[in-house]
Amino acid sequence: MKSRTTREPLLEDNPFVDVAAYLFLEDIADKQGSAGMNTYLMSLATSLARSMPLEEYQTWEDFLDAIRSNESIITTFEDVITLTENCIITTECPFSKGWSEYTRRIGKFSKIHTEVAEYYNSTVKPGAVDTGCVIHQTFRTAAAERIKVGGKSVKYAQIAAILSDGRKKLAPEEWTPILLEKAGVTQTQLNMIIRNNACVWILYQ
Amino acid sequence: MLDVALVSLIQDMSEKAGVDGVIQYWSRVGESLAKRMGKEAYLGWPSFNVALREGRTAFSIEGEVTALTDLAITDVDGDVVGYIYALKMCVFVPTILRVRYSVGEVPKADQLVSDEYNNSVRDSAVCNFCVIHQKFREEVAKSITVADQPLECLQLADRGFTGETKISEDFLRKIGINPEYVRSLLRNYACVYAILMKGAKLKGEEVEE
Repeated sequence: MKSRTTREPLLEDNPFVDVAAYLFLEDIADKQGSAGMNTYLMSLATSLARSMPLEEYQTWEDFLDAIRSNESIITTFEDVITLTENCIITTECPFSKGWSEYTRRIGKFSKIHTEVAEYYNSTVKPGAVDTGCVIHQTFRTAAAERIKVGGKSVKYAQIAAILSDGRKKLAPEEWTPILLEKAGVTQTQLNMIIRNNACVWILYQ
Repeated sequence: MLDVALVSLIQDMSEKAGVDGVIQYWSRVGESLAKRMGKEAYLGWPSFNVALREGRTAFSIEGEVTALTDLAITDVDGDVVGYIYALKMCVFVPTILRVRYSVGEVPKADQLVSDEYNNSVRDSAVCNFCVIHQKFREEVAKSITVADQPLECLQLADRGFTGETKISEDFLRKIGINPEYVRSLLRNYACVYAILMKGAKLKGEEVEE
């Protein structure tokens, strides 16, 4: 199998594509509002996951190996650390480069991206800071459904999302003890993790 | 990730809105991006070319662009009214590769969209994404002045991911550049275009008249 390092120089994001994609989404939001854009993003992410191949692993350890080496569909677009058997940490948000190119070349990020995230938080699941999170979290949910470990499906849950500018969204307080128990980390450890990482999430069965 | 998600939607978009609908969508994205980049003004071609080299112009968003200063475009009086520019790597190559490694292959609609664009708009696209950035360059040129003269951008040639090339011989004749020379540029560059002063009286046009 081809190693990721040999692909990296060619896989570096292009600012033109990143910024154009954001403007394409804003064009949709102008016509359909937050609700329409949210539906569009969720369909975009689900469609992407469904276009990717199904996966099966004999053991959870095999699955974790695939996650660590970016060979599983669920971590195709991000670099992660597996802190415990169930807790995954995304070190850098895959949307951060597009966000910084947009702010550098166009100006302040349109507030529609935050409004859509708020709509998602109130109608789907609380966990998003901006539109990138809506896409990413929906993608992970749909991608997890395509993976079987030891014949059983994989489930995904979001614990924390942190943007480049420091804004963050944590899972609701009443969910936290359950999620942290599944993750195998304490509240203090979570606070330490979110200082310099982009996303904390869990995979379980 | 966002780009790969959009690519996976091209097939769906083309089935719902038709390939001409995708062309309209992409053209609007290119136009919108150009308009959001703002206006620029330069004292002369040297300052524009330095800004380009340092990544300060709107054109620089596409990546490593080289001003081919040995290929100046002159008007009937012999004054320099523009230059030829070349983009090292197509802006969509990383996206195409990411799609290849994550999804498997670029949707068939990609070819259908570029074919329709070549038939109905201009025979210059090697993939569906050419629609976005050719429109972007056309529009961004309108927002830039050199020596108080507004600019225009002419798409001259491009090379696709699989090696297919498109060369706009009409535009090359207009600016007086040999197509074979531009073909050789495509060995080292993915996209070649001219930026020149709008309305300049060119030698090639004089010959045509």
